[in-house]
Amino acid sequence: MDLWTAIKNRRSIRNFTSDQVEEGILKQLILEAGIWAPMGNPQLWRFIIVNNLKIINKIRSVSPGLIGIPSAVIVICQDLGYALKQGGEIGENIKNVSLMDTAMAAQNIMLAAYASGLGTCPVGSFNPEAIQKILDLPEHISPQLLITVGIPGKIPTAPKRNLDVIWFNSYDDKRDI
Amino acid sequence: MTNETFKKQMLELVCFMVTSARGLLHEPKNYGPFRLLDTASRLIDILSDNQYSSPELEKIKERIESGKFIVVEDESQATSFLNDLVLYIVELLKDQD
Repeated sequence: MDLWTAIKNRRSIRNFTSDQVEEGILKQLILEAGIWAPMGNPQLWRFIIVNNLKIINKIRSVSPGLIGIPSAVIVICQDLGYALKQGGEIGENIKNVSLMDTAMAAQNIMLAAYASGLGTCPVGSFNPEAIQKILDLPEHISPQLLITVGIPGKIPTAPKRNLDVIWFNSYDDKRDI
Repeated sequence: MTNETFKKQMLELVCFMVTSARGLLHEPKNYGPFRLLDTASRLIDILSDNQYSSPELEKIKERIESGKFIVVEDESQATSFLNDLVLYIVELLKDQD
C-alpha cells in the first residue's frame, strides 16, 4: 500500500467484528513495524500483546478510552529500570525522550496494521497502575500507551483537521487560527 | 448468561466507572459526558446479555451509539444531541406506569 494512502485513510477504529487476528500477524506488526521506528539507543520499549478475551475485559474495565471489544491490545511499556541502568543520573531524561520512541513505534504499528487490513486505535486514557496489576508487570515496566487491534466493524469518517498550523521561518502569534 | 457472569460484568462496569472518575480529574471536561454515555451504553449491553433489557433500553442504546462521539468531536452539536436524548428518554418514562 502507498504510504500516503495509509497516512490519510487510517482511522481510529472503535468498533470491531468478533473475528480474531492471528498471533503471527500481531507479532509481525511489532517486530517488523514497531521496532523499526526511530528510537534512542537505549530501546526501552517493551511490548505486551494481550489477546485473551478475559484479560482484555479486565483491561477495558480500567481503560475508559478503550472503546469496543478488540481482538487484541498491544500494551507499549517502558523499562524504567533499564533506563536508570543505562542512563544513571540522566536516566530520567532518557525516560522522557523514550516517550517519543513509544509514540513513533505506535504510529508505525498502526500504519502497518492498516496496510494489513486491520483496524487500530491508540488509547491514552487508562490507569497505568491498574494495568500493571492486571498484567503482573513489575514496577519498572511502565505502561505508556495501549493500541487496540482488530478487524474493523464500522469505519468512522475523518474528524475535522485544522490546516492552519504551519509557519515558515518565524511564528506569527497574531494570526487568527 | 449465569448469575456469576452477571456479577462479574457488573463488577467490571463499576471498575470502569471508578477508573473513569479517577481519569477525569486530568482529562478534558467534555470527556465527562462521554464517559457517562459510554457507561449507560455498557450497562444496557450487560442487561441485554442477561435478558434484563427492554425495547426502550435498546432504543436508548441505539440513540447513544449513533451519536456519542459528537460529545467529544463537535462541541456545537453536543448540547442539542444530549438535550434530544434526554427528552427522548423522558418520553419513554412518561409512558411507564
